[in-house]
Amino acid sequence: MHLHSLLIVFLLSFACGQDRRITPVLNPGCENCSTTLVYIKADGSQDTVHQLWDFTRGAPTIIYLITKQSTPLNISWVDELPDKFVLPEKPVYSFAASIDKLQEYNDIENNGHIDNKSPQRELPLRHVWWRRGEHQLSGKEAMLHMRGHFEERRQRGVLDMKLDLLPFKDYAVDLPHLIHTANSTLVDISLVNLTSSEDYNASRFAIHFLMVSTDDRSDSMTYSMRKSLDDEHTPGVFEIFEIKTPKSSRSDDGGFLQFRPVCYTEPERSVSSSTNAYITNFTRTSLPYAGTLRDFYRTFDGNNLLVQDMYISFGLPGDGFYRQHNYTSWSFTIGYGVPPVESFSLFVIIIISIGLGVPVLLALSGITYVLVRRCKQRNPPERFTDDE
Amino acid sequence: MEAPESSGSSRSNMVQPTSWCHPAHRVHRFFALLLMCFLCFGSYFCYDTPGALADNFKNDAHLNTSQFALLYSIYSWPNVVLCFIGGYLVDRYFGVRLGTVIYMTIVFIGAVIFAFGVYINAFWLMILGRFVFGIGGESLQVVVNNYVVLWFKGKELNMVFGLQLSFSRFGSTVNFWVMEPVYRWVATYYGGYERLGVTLFLASLTCFVSLICGVILGWMDYRAEKILGRQDEQSNSEPFHLTDIRHFKSVFWLLSVICVAYYLAIFPFIALGKLFFERKFDFLPQQANNVNSMVYLLSAALSPFFGILIDKTGRNMTWVIISIVTTIGAHFMLAFTFFSPYVGVVTLGISYSLLASGLWPLVALIVPENQLGTAYGICQAVQNMGLATVIIFAGMIVDKYGYLMLEMFFLGCLFVSLIAAVLIYIIDSANNGVLNMSPSMREAVTTINKETDETANLLDHEDYTDQEETDSRRPSESLDQSINTRDVAQEQSDRIRSRYLAQILPSSNVSERQ
Repeated sequence: MHLHSLLIVFLLSFACGQDRRITPVLNPGCENCSTTLVYIKADGSQDTVHQLWDFTRGAPTIIYLITKQSTPLNISWVDELPDKFVLPEKPVYSFAASIDKLQEYNDIENNGHIDNKSPQRELPLRHVWWRRGEHQLSGKEAMLHMRGHFEERRQRGVLDMKLDLLPFKDYAVDLPHLIHTANSTLVDISLVNLTSSEDYNASRFAIHFLMVSTDDRSDSMTYSMRKSLDDEHTPGVFEIFEIKTPKSSRSDDGGFLQFRPVCYTEPERSVSSSTNAYITNFTRTSLPYAGTLRDFYRTFDGNNLLVQDMYISFGLPGDGFYRQHNYTSWSFTIGYGVPPVESFSLFVIIIISIGLGVPVLLALSGITYVLVRRCKQRNPPERFTDDE
Repeated sequence: MEAPESSGSSRSNMVQPTSWCHPAHRVHRFFALLLMCFLCFGSYFCYDTPGALADNFKNDAHLNTSQFALLYSIYSWPNVVLCFIGGYLVDRYFGVRLGTVIYMTIVFIGAVIFAFGVYINAFWLMILGRFVFGIGGESLQVVVNNYVVLWFKGKELNMVFGLQLSFSRFGSTVNFWVMEPVYRWVATYYGGYERLGVTLFLASLTCFVSLICGVILGWMDYRAEKILGRQDEQSNSEPFHLTDIRHFKSVFWLLSVICVAYYLAIFPFIALGKLFFERKFDFLPQQANNVNSMVYLLSAALSPFFGILIDKTGRNMTWVIISIVTTIGAHFMLAFTFFSPYVGVVTLGISYSLLASGLWPLVALIVPENQLGTAYGICQAVQNMGLATVIIFAGMIVDKYGYLMLEMFFLGCLFVSLIAAVLIYIIDSANNGVLNMSPSMREAVTTINKETDETANLLDHEDYTDQEETDSRRPSESLDQSINTRDVAQEQSDRIRSRYLAQILPSSNVSERQ
């Protein structure tokens, strides 16, 4: 099993052409805009992966577009908002994920996750005002930190998002140490100091995801829970969740979302501040009437566009609800191709080989030693016979 | 019925040995055995309360893994030294009876302080409680061993030791079964950390029961001493000299390496195991407790039988190596597969009991009898030292690197003990040692060498290896020397043995007289 997974990782790193050349641009075609849209072009040996990180219309949206190699994508702008996305030819594949709202729910039964029975309230992100924090857009890394403030007077708090694309395969620096590759972007979301409704005394927040892919609209995304033996990178958490677009489940070249069912209640992420994350079932829906997703997929064939949504909710029974820490942060990766599989670290392999090798060597040398001794004793050297 | 017997030695001497009230009678001794078993029950029961209520400690008292692990290591810390001192104090000052009551009282007080600390949710008080509990706990074990030797030497000693081990494990097992339901019951009346505190108060009652057993046993022993006239021999006993340690040979130190390294892969695993089963195998808390208690349960059930098995077959080192290898297999299975943890844990439990039955008697084969106490003390002390440091360390590994790394650490420890075991095997067979002989072979050796040779042989084997490399005249000289030392050792050993015989087997004398 272990060898098997190693082999897969090894082969994949060849097959997918992990090393891509990335060229990130902020607001291409509207350099002076105060809004934020990052466009990253990642050229590989076979194809080009275009990524859009869009914060221009409130709801944070990540769009992946796979085209033939070096196909340019042009964006035209109207009033500091992206209007048209123009490709010279038909794209190979595209998928997207967007967080269009938060859902506050009153977890009366205190079981942590969101369900239909609990009273709920929407917090649409349409009017969230995003401020650009630190960012780094170079050939080595594309990183963007955004802080979103709600414009309504009643709703305070900050929605913090950090997107990071590093064009090589490695474990993320922070817990839960997800694996990022040249084909996938690491996303951290934090819900900081959100005011909860006064009439809810067991408030928790869930994130509402809209997922789009250029698959048959009657098809469905799949999610699976995989158990790994290795919790070295996420102490105590053995599960990995993966959401795959239909194409990804069929042929491993679609889109995926990968995350661990764990989130953190303190900015300093540690095992003691960790709590559970849950995913709900998918439901079929349609593109929102306005917004970047609608603009982007306008030219696509409607029958060939799958749109589904789901919630990610956070909490554990008896953890004191959201108000206990007024903080929840969670991470996922979104990417193209085969979701990365973790492998045993060198340390583990070294311990096992030393641990097994030394006793065996010792036993072998011991046996020889004893045999030699026995032989000597059976044929005692002449000095003894002399003595007698 | 009992009052007149205890009133005066002259009268109690008149009790017929055939009566079950007579200390030499089988029924009487087994009643004492029962009390001895219950003497340890309390301390073992309370030792593992944090383990059985791990989740609740984390949720109610808000302890992180490292803090939680500290509850265990603070128990072990004092005993790095106190095993020695505790035993020594009993030998020199307290005597077995008073010692038992004193240590048992300390254990009880410790358990109560700990419960109170949880009740008011003061971490320092919890730590203090566990510390006090630890001071009494391990020394209590030493005294109870003294009791067992005093009452059963030359009779059912091996079986009784096995049974003692079983009963201690039984205490832990019962604890893992009972605490969760008790906690739930208490939770209907109390909330927060108070319910945890009250649960622990209830648990500390077992220590009180043990204390009562200690007092009754003390009285029985006092009576037995009067009836059997043990007192004279006891005053003759000479205290051990710490300088004797210098004469222990390398095989003994390798054996202590196994004592430390092997047990590191068992006890810390049980302490942290519950959450491991919950996280990795999605077990419910009660299920996880059941799996976790399997190790103790199996060792409780199997120890006496493995004791008999090894008594019959001998070849201790082979058994020890086999059990280390199967333990490695068990940890491998837990670390690298998703097979039901029952498979791994049952294997672990079986190997653990096999090792315990094979390993501890080895000390007696290596070390002369008059140093046995010190030798066992050293084993126990280094083991405690290992456990104390490692349980903290293990908690940090889990928090920082996860359970796989923890398993890797356990495997590392097992590899170390495997290496030590293989080394002992090699050294022993290179010297035609007794460690790996079958009982008949051992008997042959002992009849030829008048018994003490086997220990002397092992103790002096390093000299032998030197001898063979030297020239032809030296061997005869050193042979004489070693014969001298053997004579001395034999003399000493014989004296001690007769002392023990006089001390422990008056009952057999009585029956012969009869």
